[in-house]
Formats: sequence, structure tokens, C-alpha cells
Amino acid sequence: MSDRGTALVVDDSSVNRRLLVKRLQTLGLDVLEAENGAQGLAVLAANPGVIDVVLLDVVMPELDGYQTLAAMKADDAMRHIPVLVVSSVEELDSVVRCIELGATDYLTKPINPSILAARIDASLAAKRLHDLEQESLERQTALNRTIQRQKEELSRFLSPQVAALVSSPEGEQLLAGHRREITVAFCDLRGFTHFAEQSDPEEIFGVLAEYHRMMGEAITEHGGTLEHFAGDGVMIFFNDPVPQDDHVERAVRMAVAMRTRFSELASVWHQRGYELGFGVGIAVGYATLGRIGYDGRHDYGAIGNVTILASRLSSQAQAGQILLSPRAQVMIEGLVESEDIGELMLKGLTRPVQATNVVALR
Amino acid sequence: MPDAKALVLDEAVLAELKETTGDDPAFVRDLIETYLADVPVQLEGIDGAIAASDADALVRPAHTLKSSSVTLGAMRLGEISRTLEMTGRSGALDTAARGNADAAHAEWRAVHEALNAWLAEQASQ
Repeated sequence: MSDRGTALVVDDSSVNRRLLVKRLQTLGLDVLEAENGAQGLAVLAANPGVIDVVLLDVVMPELDGYQTLAAMKADDAMRHIPVLVVSSVEELDSVVRCIELGATDYLTKPINPSILAARIDASLAAKRLHDLEQESLERQTALNRTIQRQKEELSRFLSPQVAALVSSPEGEQLLAGHRREITVAFCDLRGFTHFAEQSDPEEIFGVLAEYHRMMGEAITEHGGTLEHFAGDGVMIFFNDPVPQDDHVERAVRMAVAMRTRFSELASVWHQRGYELGFGVGIAVGYATLGRIGYDGRHDYGAIGNVTILASRLSSQAQAGQILLSPRAQVMIEGLVESEDIGELMLKGLTRPVQATNVVALR
Repeated sequence: MPDAKALVLDEAVLAELKETTGDDPAFVRDLIETYLADVPVQLEGIDGAIAASDADALVRPAHTLKSSSVTLGAMRLGEISRTLEMTGRSGALDTAARGNADAAHAEWRAVHEALNAWLAEQASQ
């Protein structure tokens, strides 16, 4: 294979064809030949990606230059190959027609070797540029596909808000860390550890998948930001990264919706012999939010007593209970029917916490 | 200097051809031999088209004869073929067409002789 490229000469006159082949070989090209347009198209089709330039005679039997050119331009695999039309001086009107049909340039017979060399150089350069563009386009497309897939994967793994944040201009600032009042809802399952010990991994994943799907729907409906799934434990916060004036109300409504839907799931599970209950803890307070982790592995997370409080309330909740911290209770009062649970001693906290259970929405 | 179009064989064209194809005497000889074998085919095509009064059928053989003749320096034969091609393109065979075809045959004999002489001269160099 020649480094310079490969040309296809399509000409029915054997004298002209042989001379053109020779001249092109002198210029350092590999040359393929065809005696008419139909043969030329067959050679093009049989050598995909090989031919860098076509020298096309206009007056030919079988398929003439116009028809050949039209067929090339109609074919995605051939459209980009430069075509130099070879014609006599008398045929300048046909040259115009060929250029209109998409020919790159023309040469008049008898062919001047210097002009041939110049036209070939230009055509090969154009073809190389096209090939490079094509390559770069393909790379770009592949890259875009990867980015798109990563984004989709991200939005599957992260909450959509965080996924959007990662790719937004103001995202970097928010990711760097900021302090804000948030509502944290922490949910987990009663009886899960026991269930997990007794069951096959497939069963456990099946139950978790149903549970997470239900949770995910409720989270999305209420605009919560999922911080993480940890087995049966799920932490969701509100008012960040998207500000929400009604963040406490959203969290409580979400928890109530989850509790309702969970009872439907639980009755199905009950028939299969799984005894699982659902508990939620909700707390309001300031936290520092942003990127947590180390190089190569980060989470968007919230750090503050509020997350600990929500988690501890959740672990104290009986099946079916949604326990509110005192501050959450104050902020939501009037919207819910609640019952006082009394003071709870929570692990890691020095003072007892006055907790209330959400009985129903008002 | 005589009008190049009036020459039976413009040897300058052959000299240039030789020079610009890498001074490969065998190649130019091959090319001339190809031409010598092709011309009768085109003349036959021209005769047939005129006999059948088919102007369209005249275009291609006349065109091929024109361009290959000019390529090898057979200027006058090129010119006669060009006239025939134009006649064919006009869509109507005039009375001169047969006369031009006869002229092409006569010119072809002269070209044949001149090319053979040129080849002999090259071989003796």
C-alpha cells in the first residue's frame, strides 16, 4: 500500500486510462482501474475505505460520468470521496454539470501532469481532512455517548438533583461545601436483619428492589434528595441542593406516602412469610452539605447533628411509626395529627429527645 | 513553426509524454501499441453509426478517438474526430459526416505510419 493513497481511474479509453494510471503511479499513488461507470461503482463498493480519489471520465458506455457521480453522491459510503472529472475542453458545460452534481474539480484532456499533481494533492488533502474529521466526529460521538451514559448512570445512582448539580455551572461552588437548614428523613426496615439471615440473596435483592422502587417513586414525587441507600436504610434530605421553603412538610408527606405504600408491599411479603416493618425518623437542623469522600470516590452528603438525630429516631421507631424531632414537630404543627411518644434516650446523644409520631396528615 | 493542429504526428507531444512518465520507453511504446490496436475499433464504431444514421452512437467512438489521438500527438486525426464528435452531439448527421469519416480513415493510415516510424527511431537510439 502506498502512503500517498489510492486512486480509481474510470475511463473507457484504454490509452487515456493507461496514461492516467501511469501518471498517478508516478505521483506515488496506488491505482485501481475501471472501464466504465458501472465497473467503477463496483470497484468502489468492493474496496470500502480504500479509495481516496476518483478520476472520472464523462463520456463512457454503460454508465456515464453523470450517472456514476450521481450514484456515488447517493451512497453514504462513497459520498465523501473526492471526484475529479476528466473531460475535453469542448465539454466545459458538462464540467459545470458535474460540479453541480458534487464533483470536486476537473481536468482537461490531454492531461497536464503538473495540474494533475496539484489537483491530486488538493483532493488527497481534502480527503485526509474529511477522514480526520470523521475520526474526530466518531471519537466525539463515542465520548458523548460515554458522558451521556455516565450521566444516566449517575442519575440512577445519585438523586437527579445531585446529578444535575454535578453538570451545572454553579455546581462546583455547591459541591465545595455550604451550610444550610435541611430536613432529613431516615427510613429503615424493622425485621430486616432477621429476614436477611433467613433468606437467599436472590430473595433479599428482590425485596430490596421492590422496596427501593417504591421509595424512589415517593422520593421523586416529593422532590427529595436521596443521599444514600445502605441496605434497608435510606437517607433523604430536603431543601438542598434545590431550596424548598416547605421542606419539612415535603419530608412528612413523603414519609406518610411511603408508609401507606409500604403496608401494601408488606401484606404481599407477609403472604410469602416475610415479616418486615417500616420506620422513619425526621429531623430539622443545619448541616454542612457538599462533596464528601476522597479522590475518585465522592458522595454528595450532609454532615451535622440533624442527620444523626434522624437516624437515631428512625432506629427507635416501631414498625409504622414516623418519628419527628421537636423542631420538626413545631414546624409542621397543624398539618398533621401526631401523638406524643415521650422522651427517648438516643444513642450518642447526652440529652433525651421529645419525639412525636405522625398519625396522619390533616 | 507549423500549426500543431495540422500535424499528422506532433513528436513534441510524444517527447513530453516520455519525459513526464519517468523516461520509460517501454511505457510509451505500450501506450502507442494500445492506441494502434484501439483506433480500428473506434473507426468501426464511427462507420457503423454513420451507416445507421445514428448521431448518438457517433459521439462515443469519435470522442474516444479524439482524446486518445490528441494524447499521442496525432493532432489532425484528433481534429477530424472532434468534428465528427460535434456532428454526433448536434443530433443530426450532415452530409459531411461520411466525408469526415473517410478523412479519418486516410489520416489513420498516415498516423499509423508515422507512429511506427517514431517507434523504429526510438528503438534505434
